[in-house]
Amino acid sequence: MPSVEPDNKPSWADQVEDLDEDVDDVPTTSGSSKVDALLTISDEELPPPEEVIDGDTKIITEYSINDEGKKVKIIRTYRVETRKASKTIARRKAWPKFGDSEYDGPGPNPSTTAICDDIFMTFVTNKEEALNDKEEDPMAKLKGTRIVQCRICKGDHWTTKCPYKDTLGPIQEELEKSDKPGEAAAGAKGGEQAAAARPAGGKYVPPSLRGANRGPGESMAQRRDDQATIRVTNLSEDTRESDLQELFRPFGAISRIYLAKDKVTHQSKGFAFINFHRREDAARAITGVNGFGYDNLILNVEWARPSNQQ
Amino acid sequence: MKPLMLQGHTRAITQIKYNREGDLLFSCAKDTKPCVWYAINGERLGTYNGHNGAVWALDIDWQTTKVLTAAADNSARLWDCETGKQLFQWDTNNAVRACGFSYSGDMIMFCTDRQMGYNPSLDIYDIRAGEQLANNAPLLSIPIEGPKVTSAVWGGLDEYIITGHESGEFSQFDVKSGERVRNVRVHSKQINDIQLNKDRTMFVSASKDTNAMLFDADSLDHLKTYKTERPVNSAAISPRMDHVVLGGGQEAMQVTTTSTRIGKFDARFFHLIFEEEFGRVKGHFGPINSVAFHPDGKSYSSGGEDGYVRVHTFDPQYFEFEFEF
Repeated sequence: MPSVEPDNKPSWADQVEDLDEDVDDVPTTSGSSKVDALLTISDEELPPPEEVIDGDTKIITEYSINDEGKKVKIIRTYRVETRKASKTIARRKAWPKFGDSEYDGPGPNPSTTAICDDIFMTFVTNKEEALNDKEEDPMAKLKGTRIVQCRICKGDHWTTKCPYKDTLGPIQEELEKSDKPGEAAAGAKGGEQAAAARPAGGKYVPPSLRGANRGPGESMAQRRDDQATIRVTNLSEDTRESDLQELFRPFGAISRIYLAKDKVTHQSKGFAFINFHRREDAARAITGVNGFGYDNLILNVEWARPSNQQ
Repeated sequence: MKPLMLQGHTRAITQIKYNREGDLLFSCAKDTKPCVWYAINGERLGTYNGHNGAVWALDIDWQTTKVLTAAADNSARLWDCETGKQLFQWDTNNAVRACGFSYSGDMIMFCTDRQMGYNPSLDIYDIRAGEQLANNAPLLSIPIEGPKVTSAVWGGLDEYIITGHESGEFSQFDVKSGERVRNVRVHSKQINDIQLNKDRTMFVSASKDTNAMLFDADSLDHLKTYKTERPVNSAAISPRMDHVVLGGGQEAMQVTTTSTRIGKFDARFFHLIFEEEFGRVKGHFGPINSVAFHPDGKSYSSGGEDGYVRVHTFDPQYFEFEFEF
């Protein structure tokens, strides 16, 4: 404990500005097993802690053994500062520690006192502040948009909370029931209709899926009826479109033939799509040509999966 | 600036206070051991061990000889500042929410909560009078009608006590007669903190209604408003500059359920007169529960829900900064 010197009281513990911890690993044995290392340490004496005061810096070097059984050298560098203080403050500085700090040594205990990273006060002007506020509230952004839509009245609330639940609800249910048979008949085109009927509220819908108001992003392939398309694989490289035409012409009218070709060599990649006008024709083509030997290869013919699922 | 981080508490800090000269910093938390630190280097001087519940508030007399703590274990305790020994213990029916030494240090007051069928009260003792302590007979016990007291300070040269209530109103109680002299309501929600300025003529209040306000201590006139967008837990007036620091953030229980932005937990500096924010300091991982300016105005400390007290010494930029108007 420093003695009480009313006006000019030097105490190295007065101010801690920089506390650097250098942890040096000093392996005691090299290449041997861990147990050996532990044994060597238990035999060896740890060097006593050193304290060097050089001008206004104080360097404490301590040695300890860490959990892995290695000797660790800790170097702490303190800056010693002398400050003038009033008598009462100087006297309080000399008070012995008590309570949970009773057994702490002089100076700050690293377990209760730490020095944080450098931080700065950020000066703000009012304009920035206003901008920040706008950015930072994600809930405010959502306020304008509709998150939920009532199935009954299309209002901005959950269906179960609908005020017309008891009046409109049952009527709509009945309507739906009467609609059902018609819907089943149109089942073939159900997928496309569902996509068209999806509410456009808020969520991005690609142009290709925008039901009635198809935008400029529409592609030719999409309008094609995939229902009567077959896929032919295991074609030879020499195959040409005219060959396919010859092969499939007998089954019915063909609307389109697509033969996958390499961009550079213009040779067939070994598969093709044939669009028939009628599904029945396509079905007959599958049963007729599937397994057919063509140009030393056995053709594989099946229904083409819709292109957007491939 | 490189703040000192004081890690003496295991739970959320409830209040921090400097002594008059500013060489010691006292902190209390929702754990049971209030701590005292050397403000200059963050060295812990000691702990005041004895409470069995969260400590809600503390105060130090002007000579830094005694410490008063108010705790949720239904007691207020008086400690010897130097040794950490308990000098006296007041047992109450309820948790004690706020406490304070008079300016003279001769009298103390504390406020109890409304719990278990007992009404809140504001008790005043003269700690020089042994018989008051021995018989547990207060000099004055003022029953609090209406909402309970959440924060209280002595004012007007020990003539009255200013109390902040759960409903957002302020009252002024005469210490001699025990009458409620004044009552104003400007805040719409609970008052979290009241701190006087250096000459004790004004005080700044921190409220859950997201505002901090400046009041005249004598007349309880509302002078200024410092608006934020989150509950304010604590506010302090700089003794050196025309500045106010506000600490707050979301309520602790809402932290995990609302915005993930960590920046809500910074201390915010407002100009005292122009009511405009000019600076922020980050650092805490949770809402700030208590802020205090060093009596020389060159540093300030904050204690947070994260259980840490951070002692900041201002950079020269802070003193060079000139508010544009």
